[in-house]
Amino acid sequence: MEDAKIVALYLARDETALAHSAAKYGRALRSLGAKLISDEQSVEECENDTYFKAWNSIPPHEPRSYLFAFLAKIMRSTVLNLCKMRSAQRRSAVLTELSAEMEQCIPSPSDTECLIDGIVLGEAISRFLRTLTEEQRCVFLRRYWYFDSVAEISNKLGITESKTKSTLFRLRNSLRLYLEKEGYEL
Amino acid sequence: MRGDEFLEKLENVDPELVEKAARPKRRRRWLGAVAALLALAILGGVLLRPGGGALTTEAFAALAEAEYPESPPYPDMMDYVNPDGSMQDDEFNAAFDAWWEFYRAQRDMGEGFETALDSFCAKTLPQFLGGADGENAVYSPLNVYLALGMLAELTDGDSRAQVLALLGSGGIGELRETASALWNANYMDDGASASILASSLWLDNDVSFKQNTLDKLAEVYYASAYRGEMGSDEVNEALQAWLNEQTGGLLSEQADGVGLDADTILALATTVYFRAKWTSEFSSDKTEQGVFHAPGGDINCDFMHQSGQGYYYWGERFSAIERNLESGGAMRFILPDEGFSPDDLLADSEALSFIISGGSDWESKKFLIINQAIPKFDVVSDFDLRAGLQNLGVTDVFDGSVSDFSPMTDDTDGIFVSQAKHAARVAIDEEGVTAAAYTVMGAAGAGEPPADEVDFVLDRPFIFVITGSAGTPLFAGVVNVPA
Repeated sequence: MEDAKIVALYLARDETALAHSAAKYGRALRSLGAKLISDEQSVEECENDTYFKAWNSIPPHEPRSYLFAFLAKIMRSTVLNLCKMRSAQRRSAVLTELSAEMEQCIPSPSDTECLIDGIVLGEAISRFLRTLTEEQRCVFLRRYWYFDSVAEISNKLGITESKTKSTLFRLRNSLRLYLEKEGYEL
Repeated sequence: MRGDEFLEKLENVDPELVEKAARPKRRRRWLGAVAALLALAILGGVLLRPGGGALTTEAFAALAEAEYPESPPYPDMMDYVNPDGSMQDDEFNAAFDAWWEFYRAQRDMGEGFETALDSFCAKTLPQFLGGADGENAVYSPLNVYLALGMLAELTDGDSRAQVLALLGSGGIGELRETASALWNANYMDDGASASILASSLWLDNDVSFKQNTLDKLAEVYYASAYRGEMGSDEVNEALQAWLNEQTGGLLSEQADGVGLDADTILALATTVYFRAKWTSEFSSDKTEQGVFHAPGGDINCDFMHQSGQGYYYWGERFSAIERNLESGGAMRFILPDEGFSPDDLLADSEALSFIISGGSDWESKKFLIINQAIPKFDVVSDFDLRAGLQNLGVTDVFDGSVSDFSPMTDDTDGIFVSQAKHAARVAIDEEGVTAAAYTVMGAAGAGEPPADEVDFVLDRPFIFVITGSAGTPLFAGVVNVPA
């Protein structure tokens, strides 16, 4: 079913919207969750939470042309929250690695809480991403938005792993320089 | 902020970008990477003419040469791959960092210069693109801005004041800062993209010139100055060769028509050469013939097709889209609603504001699937700016009895601008699948687009604008006849 029709079901408060969402995007959402959480049951709980949260936020949101990105954003945030609540021992090694890489994008990393609004930062990063080629943008987002491994990215894009690695390295540096230049204090 | 927080906040990235990355495109290894967009413009010469005088024959000589900033080459990944397929990471990173540092520094030109052209565009676009009368019209605001800036340097008194007023500049110092920032922010010549603004002055042997003014032009406008015998074949050939070289030979027909007669004491020539690829190229297999409703009757031309998500903008009398270019710039296509013409939009302040500033702060927009159908075109226009500039209040420089060229020379009697030619050419094309049928959006007139998908079919006269990486309008045009 087309996204716009599924969104119309949400708007009409028709509960079949959830089943249609799960049929179309369930697998992709679970695969996103499985990147950070190893047990299947927790991933499924996150997935169900995602549909529930989507049900509560459509309306006011009407993500007719980006339903997957909308659901994936909720899934991503739900999974990250679960990781945060878990004890240090059970914390995902992938998440630790991703966080360390992200630190290279921050002009001056510190433990102090950041005051910058997430939406403002999101806009700045989007502006940066738009200056990149489609491939570079995809490499960045696959890694840090969809949590793909270097091997998965290389396979999906048809490029070598060393190219993926060097692209990521350069993009982290470029993003840091960009945020510095734009004057963001993070 | 810590890394995990940063990772979390990434969720706020534009959903359009996230959605696109959901299904990555595999690299097509056969891709030849052909330039998909080629555009350039020249100002064929602001010619200054004195009351007359004898000429001597002397060799043609350079008086001042501009030095361009040198960009490190944009590193090609393939140059850094070892025979075993591994990557020379350190070498590549060093090359990339050098390029990035240059790119960043060139664009770090302080505040405000990006919008410096807005008021100039608001005055000049209707003047130079309006009333095309069924013909195509192409105009480079940045090119003319810099040519007029140089003219302001060469003049004083009311002559200069009129030029500064049109440029929207508070004084010569402010103009120099803006012109220099605009030049640098739009300069790119790294092997991958080219955006070069070249300027030159051609001086007659018989008139004395003030070297400090020439030096200023070389410093601020990157203009080289040459001297020779006006009216001679050598000077005309040298000027034509310079224009052809700066514009890659693409305006050779127009350049060949540029000639300076013996009365000329100075000619000013500025060119813009710009080449960049679409960030997402059209597939040439989807290009098919269609009908374009030109003012003189229907014609057939090739339409490039592409469907994808993007912002669709609309106003009272138009709809529009923007396509990104790899240089960091973009091309806007503005389609008047049925019943309106490009001229109507140029005379409408709401539409003009979109034409100049684009969609970043535009409220009437929707993120949709857009089925684009854009005609391939190659449009050239060639016109004299004099009448238009006079309509816009720049009059004294065209009148030898009141003009003031004292910063340029002490031999000031009766000098005036006798010719101000502007030629520009913009060509776009695609690159490679089977034809798909598209339907023209049936609903005409203003208003919100349909819920999720819209057809954007440029099958009647439209307006385009090409911006550089700094967001400055490099070219604007009206396409009445695409082929």
